Amino acid sequence: MTSSSEWQSSLPELLRRCVGCGLCLPHCATWAVTGNEVHSPRGRLMLLGDLLDDPSSATRAAYADAFDGCLGCRACESACPGGVPFELLEHGQNLTAGMGVQPSRWVSTLIRHLDSLLVLNFLRRVGKVSRQILKAIWGQHWRRRLNGAGWKLGTLVRLLGSLPAGPSSDQELVEQLDQLSGAKSKGEFVLPQLQPIQQDCVFFEGCANEGLLPETSRRFRELLKAMGCTVHTLASQQCCGAIADHNNQPGKASRQKRINLKVLTEESCSDFPVVTEAAGCSAHLGQYNQDMQNRTQNAVVFLHELMNTESGNKLFSNLRPIPLKVVYHDPCHAQHGQGIYEQPRQLLKKIPGLKLVDPYESQICCGSAGVWSLTHGELSQELGSRKSKNLLHTGASLVVTANPGCQGQISDALNLSSRPIPVISLTDLLWYAFLQKKGLPEGSP
Amino acid sequence: MASDLSRFLSDLEGLLGKKGLLTDSAARRVYSQDSSHLVLGQPVAVALPQTAEQISNIITLCNRANVPIVCRGSGTGLSGGAVPSEGALVLGLSRMTQAEGTVNQKSDLQLNFDPILPSPTDPTMNVEAGVLNEEITHLASSQGLHFAPDPSSQAAATLGGNIAENAGGPHCLRFGVTLQHLRNLNWIDHQGNKQITGRGLPVERGLDLTSLLCGSEGTLGVVTSAQVKLTPNPEFTITLLVFFPDLNDATESVVALLGAGLQPVAVEMVDQTMLLAVEEAFQFGFRTDVEGAMIAEFTGREFEVKNDVAKAVHLFEGKGANEIRQAEDEKDRLELWKCRKKAFGAVGRLAPRYVTMDVVVPLGCLPDLVRQIQVIKKRHGVQVATAFHAGDGNLHPGVHYDDRKPDQTEAAHRAADEIIQTALEMDGSCTGEHGVGIEKTHAISWQLSVPAAHLNLKIKKCFDPNARFNPGKMLPSKDAKFPNRKPVPREVVFRWKSLSVTAPANTLLAEIQDEALSHGLCLAVGAHAKARDNTLGFGSAGTVGDLLKHLVPGPSVLARGHARDYLLELWAQNSQNVVFHTGAPVFKNVAGYGLSQALCGSGNNFAEPLAATFQLKPVAESVLIMEFQFNATSDNWSQSLQNLVQELPRDDVASPSIILDLTLGQVFLIVAGRQHVLGLPALAARTKKILPEFNLMDEQILKYPQLRDFLVSSGLPSWTRSSNQWTLWSHPGNKTASFLPPTNSPRLIWQAIPAGWWTCETPSQPGPQSGDWFADSFFSDGDFTSPPPPAPGVSQPLLARLKNAFDSLNQQDFATNEGTKEDTL
Repeated sequence: MTSSSEWQSSLPELLRRCVGCGLCLPHCATWAVTGNEVHSPRGRLMLLGDLLDDPSSATRAAYADAFDGCLGCRACESACPGGVPFELLEHGQNLTAGMGVQPSRWVSTLIRHLDSLLVLNFLRRVGKVSRQILKAIWGQHWRRRLNGAGWKLGTLVRLLGSLPAGPSSDQELVEQLDQLSGAKSKGEFVLPQLQPIQQDCVFFEGCANEGLLPETSRRFRELLKAMGCTVHTLASQQCCGAIADHNNQPGKASRQKRINLKVLTEESCSDFPVVTEAAGCSAHLGQYNQDMQNRTQNAVVFLHELMNTESGNKLFSNLRPIPLKVVYHDPCHAQHGQGIYEQPRQLLKKIPGLKLVDPYESQICCGSAGVWSLTHGELSQELGSRKSKNLLHTGASLVVTANPGCQGQISDALNLSSRPIPVISLTDLLWYAFLQKKGLPEGSP
Repeated sequence: MASDLSRFLSDLEGLLGKKGLLTDSAARRVYSQDSSHLVLGQPVAVALPQTAEQISNIITLCNRANVPIVCRGSGTGLSGGAVPSEGALVLGLSRMTQAEGTVNQKSDLQLNFDPILPSPTDPTMNVEAGVLNEEITHLASSQGLHFAPDPSSQAAATLGGNIAENAGGPHCLRFGVTLQHLRNLNWIDHQGNKQITGRGLPVERGLDLTSLLCGSEGTLGVVTSAQVKLTPNPEFTITLLVFFPDLNDATESVVALLGAGLQPVAVEMVDQTMLLAVEEAFQFGFRTDVEGAMIAEFTGREFEVKNDVAKAVHLFEGKGANEIRQAEDEKDRLELWKCRKKAFGAVGRLAPRYVTMDVVVPLGCLPDLVRQIQVIKKRHGVQVATAFHAGDGNLHPGVHYDDRKPDQTEAAHRAADEIIQTALEMDGSCTGEHGVGIEKTHAISWQLSVPAAHLNLKIKKCFDPNARFNPGKMLPSKDAKFPNRKPVPREVVFRWKSLSVTAPANTLLAEIQDEALSHGLCLAVGAHAKARDNTLGFGSAGTVGDLLKHLVPGPSVLARGHARDYLLELWAQNSQNVVFHTGAPVFKNVAGYGLSQALCGSGNNFAEPLAATFQLKPVAESVLIMEFQFNATSDNWSQSLQNLVQELPRDDVASPSIILDLTLGQVFLIVAGRQHVLGLPALAARTKKILPEFNLMDEQILKYPQLRDFLVSSGLPSWTRSSNQWTLWSHPGNKTASFLPPTNSPRLIWQAIPAGWWTCETPSQPGPQSGDWFADSFFSDGDFTSPPPPAPGVSQPLLARLKNAFDSLNQQDFATNEGTKEDTL
């Protein structure tokens, strides 16, 4: 990263790369749902130009909402033919931080603690119980029936609905996918210990994955171990810092980074790739420094690389058939932030019988965008609804994604739709595809 | 004043809600610019309506408060058409994303056709102005259809913006510009009244308001939705990427390619500077050691495409191409197009600012203009990156400059103006698809002759007497100095290299076809033979003047459109004998209102056509003619024919027709094809399978030039050549379309393009018949009939004002501002 003053002086030149062609507009989620060009990348860049000329607090206050509305999905960066870096919009966000409409106190409190495993564990448990209670009172479609409830209750209902939740046990996952695909593997299939791959890796848990989808996280490690990987976990791992960074808490973010770097560069594991499931975490870890940029691998990319080894290829050529039409949702931080697009598709195409389809507007954010969905509830729900329609339009019976935020958001939107199909993580689907009938000799694919 | 303004704004907020009206400084700043970077001032507010009713009320409020209105789609225009003047209201249409009559979701957009039932008309869709161009194609894709206009901004540009600018794009070379894909417009006039432009028929006579509104840059009214025509996706596509070490060779090869009768769907080119920017942006793997690169795309049936591509490759190699690549797969092809379409965005890497021009010249002049641009570039010491729609003769040279350096800025604008003047000297136009906006208001007065300029100003006044809509845009100043009028041509002039013909109104259409046919070309409206017996069926078509007045030459085969589609320029005179000239002999032109197209088909009610220039198209290689006998009393024949119609290729080359005689139980099928050895016999075999109960009497494949003899000889039933009564049955194209029109006539001719049934009887009551079928009597007792009365919903007072505008054009009005430059023709 260039130094701050170098960065400052390069801003006007970088900004002039924008020729105003407007090709970023249809990629921007906030423009797509508002039709308001203030909430478009081109509009924000125009305003940034003004801010650089006149950084007075009056101008910053006047333009704050435009930057505050940005989801940070980076779709505009992928679309831009002029090569305007997304960091310009981040710079605008920094210049106007705290000057726009502030979220309510309880939302800000919640947001500040979303990087705490304790809070997330608590949320998961409370969420599970609450959903069961709501289901008991309002029935299967409680989410739909409670949609549009008054402001405070409405926010709570939406939070409960969009909290990422996966099958809480292997049995539940197997039942769900058996039912969808018409298979009968419950109780008869197990994850075989194939172990032909010799590869060490450091597993970086990720707050949301570990706190909200711990079973999926476990299955990912199991899957790696089954393939033969040695998975190192870290005792004193912190949040990667993305949440604190989003919340404009730079001190906290750099503290977290410092602690993480210390453990990640310990001699015992300093050479191994750092694998993490959440796209947001892998994007953020990669920004730590050059070493971490080289070492960090999103779980999907890691699996894809394993698949492309000689022994990995054999493993992936013997997956069990899942005769389902599946639509893959690309998390923005993977698709735009890290250019991950082909890898999950190639992994899914290895599953026999699975028909993979792509949705319209796959480049547009689902509206989760980390804490953005809490601060911009209404727009977030609109984006979710738009996403769910595009996903349903493909005729798929299962949505697969690889980010907890997206999983919760899309699941909530689908529960509000006319055809609530399930959303599961790519890890869970692969885990299920790797299952083998009991009694087969261990290690035989 | 302040209280008036605050009342205006509070009324607007009451109408649109807080989210529908933006008055904050951020919004006023962002909406003060579009892709052109030009600025006039800041708008007073931005309105984002969601319904036509809201727009209607906004206009009423603006009238009351005397606030100008500037419409905007996604702000991707390059000429400043959507840039507001200080204090104007921006009317953003980005939330008008529904289909008429439906609510909530774009995915529920109404398709106006049933994909299962074979329809005698074209598939269409009703789309609101804020729907993105690419989204229309997405919505139609499940039916194997697409929306053909494809400007480079299509991912972001709205249909409303495409209509305002009459947008083109690479593929309009084959499929035509936006106007050719519009059936009907719903629009709101200066008083806030909802209007429509007509019935939405494939052939609709009368003054064509769609042609006036399309390309009017938001200066005449607000288009809220349109019925658009959809185009079938090609069966097979090959896209070539061709590199030329010499730019001149590249442009010469475009002229040669189209002159050889090959029919690419797109021929695009970029020069070396543009190539470098695009390669840096996308790393596609372009070679950059060449002066020019070309994308040439061919679509159709596989064997035809391969055949064309082989010929094209041979031609390019002969013209000096040093590398020819073929897109490997669909992904590769789309990636290639992405590079082309994002080329202008990538220019930001080369220079902070650029003036993008949009000049267009007759195709034959393309190499010369490109050479001249190199000279101008050197003379002014500027950097120019050019992307061309080469097949259309439409160039987008971008002159780079750094706006922080005044001398560079000045040099760039001087060079740009010189490029425009050079194009105009070649009988070109200053804008082919970007529009005049505010960027070219000076250049339009170099182009329009004085009566045309005054007519444009009068038309503006008819639609918008209080100058409410987009004031200060598009039109020249009344006091400007205009060039002298182009003299009315007295004889037929073919420009073979430019693929056009200019002819006086009294020229027999058949004479043009005869001459054109000897060069493998035709005016693709049908009527291919000289009149023998002065009748009005196949083989006889009257004059160029008749064609201009009535759109189609009568029942025709192998037409690919009507006269409006191929009309490039027009000379006409009004009731006071004032002669005016509109248009230019180029394939795309949006300098001024679409007067030529609007007048074409209006009889002589507004002006008497004197002469015109038309685009010529290559003829097909061969024609399949099949004759069957069938039992007309059985119930099945109609269903079988419907099945056949479903199967027939609907592309512009095939242009099929069916001739039906129910008295004799006789059917003729006529279909053109590119390569008789493979394509047409296969189609004949399929046809026989589809019509099992029909007895094949005759089957022949003729070379195209033999067709005229077939048409006038005894090959077809005599009534197709001898009737003095012809009625065209058209349908706006929706789900209610029955296969056959509501007529008892036993003699019918179906033509695919423009779609309709002809009968050789005049109905007792011309006009709307049962369902939506509309019967227009074209010929009665051997004479062309006057155009039928306008559709309900078309503003009669507006038509009266327009009539008055034409009639009142007076020589004295502009005696002082005609130029002295010598005319050339």
